[in-house]
Amino acid sequence: MTFSLRGAIRVGFTLVVLLAAVGAARELWAHYMDEPWTRDAKVRADIVGVAPDVSGFVSEVLVRDNQAVKQGDVLFRIDRARFAIALEQAEAAIEGRKATLEQARRDRERYEQLKDVVSQQKTEQMRMQETEAAAAYRQAVADRDLARLNLERSEVKASVNGTITNLSLRPGDYVTAGTPEVALVDTDSLRIEGYFEETKLARIRVGASVTIRLMGQPAALDGHVESIAAGIEDRERTVGNGLLANINPTFNWVRLAQRVPVRIALDHVPDGIALVAGLTATVSIKD
Amino acid sequence: MPGEIDLYGVYVPNLLALALATLLVSLVVRRALAWFGVYGFVWHRGLFDVALYVVLLQGMSLLSRWWLS
Repeated sequence: MTFSLRGAIRVGFTLVVLLAAVGAARELWAHYMDEPWTRDAKVRADIVGVAPDVSGFVSEVLVRDNQAVKQGDVLFRIDRARFAIALEQAEAAIEGRKATLEQARRDRERYEQLKDVVSQQKTEQMRMQETEAAAAYRQAVADRDLARLNLERSEVKASVNGTITNLSLRPGDYVTAGTPEVALVDTDSLRIEGYFEETKLARIRVGASVTIRLMGQPAALDGHVESIAAGIEDRERTVGNGLLANINPTFNWVRLAQRVPVRIALDHVPDGIALVAGLTATVSIKD
Repeated sequence: MPGEIDLYGVYVPNLLALALATLLVSLVVRRALAWFGVYGFVWHRGLFDVALYVVLLQGMSLLSRWWLS
């Protein structure tokens, strides 16, 4: 093969285009793989499981499904009759104990005045009886307060601002204390959580501005990185029966980057965007 | 921002759409290059075509970013 100008131009031209292609490929890779963006993000909100503090029949449900409520609004009422009777009983008990206490006090005063006639022991017994009566009276007062608290707690209130969702509680249902009956989505806690590959974490800093797009909704939301999760579960390790570490013996040749939740606070939500907890979002962090 | 496109309910990264569009563009560009006789100055045609495709893809990507922003 002999050297020719035309041959050199051919090789040179092709190599230049090839070099450009290498550069372009690197740029593309950086843009699509290294930049801190993810399609794996969710709209999240804290859910309050509203549970009654007392058991009983539901007499009244004051909210509808998907209704917005303010902190302190009454959500439902538990039948009050039993608690009203309990309060009545407790108040009656107070009156009885009070009468006993007053009688004990009078007796004690009387015995103290008759110092020379009655024995020392009898006077002491009278003092003891008065103290006992006073203690019983205080207990009755506490019982009354408890009965009143139970009566108050028969009205179940919203603990946060939010929206009731998936409500299936009907009047007549029997609810038990401590069992969540109503799901309340805390609208003040709405946020985006982006699940970023661990390889991208180095380029995410707290406070960086974020563009968020919800699936199928063209308008973009603005936010900023609020915090990065401090830990995720170690999938290779479990605690064995003997309290010793149990490490997965297989280790893959191919490793996938794990994902770490990054919490993004919403700064601006355009009108007409319905933020439903659980929606899929695409987030892109400016670094 | 790298987004995604809606293919009748299936959301795919828009790089896929870009790649397909670039394929069409590269066919046109190759036809034009052949018409102007540029392939006479090309060493290995297959290698050149692949390199051309990657360059065009980056160009389309930049174009789409500019268009979207």
